Amino acid sequence: MASVVCVFCFSVPMKEKKLMDVKIGELPKWILMRDFTPKGIAGAFQRGYYRYYNKYVNVKKGSVAGVSMVLAAYVLFNYCRSYKELKHERRRKYH
Amino acid sequence: MLSRAVLSTVATAAPCVKNAALLGPGVLQATRIFHTGQPSQAPVPPLPEYGGKVRHGLIPEEFFQFLYPKTGVTGPYVLGTGLILYFLSKEIYVVTPETISAVSTIGLLVYVVKKYGASIGEFADKLNEQKIAQLEEAKQASMKYIQDAINLEKSQQALVQKRHYLFDVQRNNIAMALEVTYRDRLHRVYREVKNRLDYQIAVQNMMRRKEQEHMINWVEKHVVQSISAQQE
Repeated sequence: MASVVCVFCFSVPMKEKKLMDVKIGELPKWILMRDFTPKGIAGAFQRGYYRYYNKYVNVKKGSVAGVSMVLAAYVLFNYCRSYKELKHERRRKYH
Repeated sequence: MLSRAVLSTVATAAPCVKNAALLGPGVLQATRIFHTGQPSQAPVPPLPEYGGKVRHGLIPEEFFQFLYPKTGVTGPYVLGTGLILYFLSKEIYVVTPETISAVSTIGLLVYVVKKYGASIGEFADKLNEQKIAQLEEAKQASMKYIQDAINLEKSQQALVQKRHYLFDVQRNNIAMALEVTYRDRLHRVYREVKNRLDYQIAVQNMMRRKEQEHMINWVEKHVVQSISAQQE
């Protein structure tokens, strides 16, 4: 990967860049570089969980936000799942 | 690979426990050397005081900061209002009877959280503090116990320097006992010798007395004999 080799002298190689540092054009390449083995996916879930947990729950003076954000996300997720049945309860057919 | 895992991940865990777990029963792995690197001496970082900031309990502060350069302070709120109106008007969010129950539930929850949130937080903090105080007490008690043991050990080590007093006393006692027995025996010797000499003296006295008595008797007898011979 020539781009990786010439970039390496100046900055971090592609594989270790975080998502916010990747440019839009490089996004597909970056996504394909990620680890899609089951172990990698499990590792990603674990990392995400611990990131959220350590930021909002595992503190000395936690607030309701740690729990309420999870519940709100759950509500949203279930609403999206049941949208197909809810479509029939619309008051107007054409918007 | 195992040694790398040991060095890189849990360098501060109890090494002896790990070692014991890795050595199976009866299997002595003499070729493997664990813990060749320096364990990290850094203390565990303390828990953060507050969590990440969240506005209205739902949206993290980072979102507001993300939109601030482009839209200022009201940007996210305008976005939120616009989104809500869009969802309502296009009926992506459908108003059903459930909406009313959801609104009342959420209103009740918000009221409860706003009214009792702080006191519940303080109660939880107090519980935490009690737990920490207990642990701290246990730690202090353990430290005190160990310190007392150390002091006792030191004082006993200091006593070792004073052992010679014991031995001096014992030596003095023995010397006195020897002296006493020596004098006692001397005295006995003196008594025995005196006894023997007294016996000799007593024998001589008795002999003299007996001789005297015998002479007196003999003289008396002869005098009486001569008197009686003279009378006839």
